[in-house]
Amino acid sequence: MFALIKREVRDHIVYFIGAAAFSAVFIIMAISILHNYDLRRQPPAFSIVLGIPAITIVIFGICAMGSTQMYLDRTRKISALLSTLAISRNRILLARIITGILAILTLLVPLIITAVILMRFVSFLFPFPMFPGIVFNISVTVFLMAFACYCIGLQAGWNSNPLTPSLGALCLTCILLPLIIVKGFGLHILVILVLFIVASLLRTWHTFMTTSL
Amino acid sequence: MNDNVITVKNLVKYFDGRCVLDGINLKVPRGCIYGLLGRNGSGKTTIIRILLGLEPPTRGRTFLLDAESTELSAKLHGRIGYVAEGHNLIQNYRVGRLIKLCKDLSLQWNDEFFNHLIETFRLPADRKVKELSIGMRAQLNLALAMAIDPELLIFDDPTLGLDTVARRQFLELAIDLIQQQGRTILFCSHILGDVERIADRIGILAASKLVVDCPLEELKERVKKLRVIFPESAPANLHLTEIINQQIQGREMVITAANWNKQKQTILETFKPSSCTEIPMSLEDIFIECTKPNPEYIES
Repeated sequence: MFALIKREVRDHIVYFIGAAAFSAVFIIMAISILHNYDLRRQPPAFSIVLGIPAITIVIFGICAMGSTQMYLDRTRKISALLSTLAISRNRILLARIITGILAILTLLVPLIITAVILMRFVSFLFPFPMFPGIVFNISVTVFLMAFACYCIGLQAGWNSNPLTPSLGALCLTCILLPLIIVKGFGLHILVILVLFIVASLLRTWHTFMTTSL
Repeated sequence: MNDNVITVKNLVKYFDGRCVLDGINLKVPRGCIYGLLGRNGSGKTTIIRILLGLEPPTRGRTFLLDAESTELSAKLHGRIGYVAEGHNLIQNYRVGRLIKLCKDLSLQWNDEFFNHLIETFRLPADRKVKELSIGMRAQLNLALAMAIDPELLIFDDPTLGLDTVARRQFLELAIDLIQQQGRTILFCSHILGDVERIADRIGILAASKLVVDCPLEELKERVKKLRVIFPESAPANLHLTEIINQQIQGREMVITAANWNKQKQTILETFKPSSCTEIPMSLEDIFIECTKPNPEYIES
């Protein structure tokens, strides 16, 4: 299993480098904004102007990683070779998903650590009141959202027609965004995300297990 | 434990409504080198892919090493060496990296034998797989398949792209391998001379069916090509069954018959031919006759 994960990481190292770079940029941005501006009065406009495209790039990047993993497997017949060795298809897919999770964690863990440190020492600078567990709630939700994007990428990469997963992604966004805006982060969002991820993974697993390699 | 390493039961496979395999039954006993022959698109690779669980069958069941192909465990896969047609190797990897990956993912790895093969084939570890010639890729695939000390080896046109020397090396290796007790080889090739040299049982696929399935010697024994000269013009019909091919030219008739026996010889003699001589047939001749339309079935 370790050899499979190592292979996936090495083949898709560019996504790990990208995740680490984005994480570093976000951290530098957050620290410099906190240092230079008083967020309690008005957050600087450029943080929103830069933040939205950055988040979009991250979402597409995560989706692209899943998609690339499956697409390259299909075109280079990697699983066709691996499954003739002492490896089951289940393990190949599991290793791939673990690699995806590792890439998401490469992006999120430094951000979460930075957020915790900032909240501990400079929480008075934040524009909204902090409550215990807010970082955990937001982190879990963001992780699940990123993982849901990754799952959509996995499906889109394995299907020759990526229309269905794209529609799924659109539906999920339409449900989640209003919910987050109206009700904020909470259990309801987590339940929807977990259900979506489970359904998406089951579909990916089924197609991967039954398709000719 | 079953004595057959490979068992195929009533295998049917359709691709887009086209029947490729129609009720194939096949058994390969332990220690046998089975040569599976057929023209392009006759379904040889499909049988192999179904056996390895890479392709689902439409109907029927296949078993490898006592386990159903659709449920082959990783452990069982580790006992099977496979050289695929076109060599399914990861093209953008360097040879060294591919070797390390295969080694890490194998249950057992015979370093000594593998290094011997790499030296024999002179494979460069620092070049990318896609930069290798077709022949070198074939050799690499072969070395990887053999390094795991497999109980069962499946070769799908393994000598495709190999030069004469490399092909000879490969055949000698295969013979060496079969001499190790209990090894079984399923071998597909279009080079019938190679198959004739190493196979001890032959299967021929034609018109989606397995028309021949018997030991090589028995096949040569049972398929006869005869040149028969009659005193007057040759009769249009000899009333013999299992005639694969029949050509008449004046007094001369050339017939190829399956399952030739004394009874058929007696029927032929009732037509009082002036002479009847047997034309020796190689495996290639038998193959060409058997793959003509409406082939007769030859099973042991």
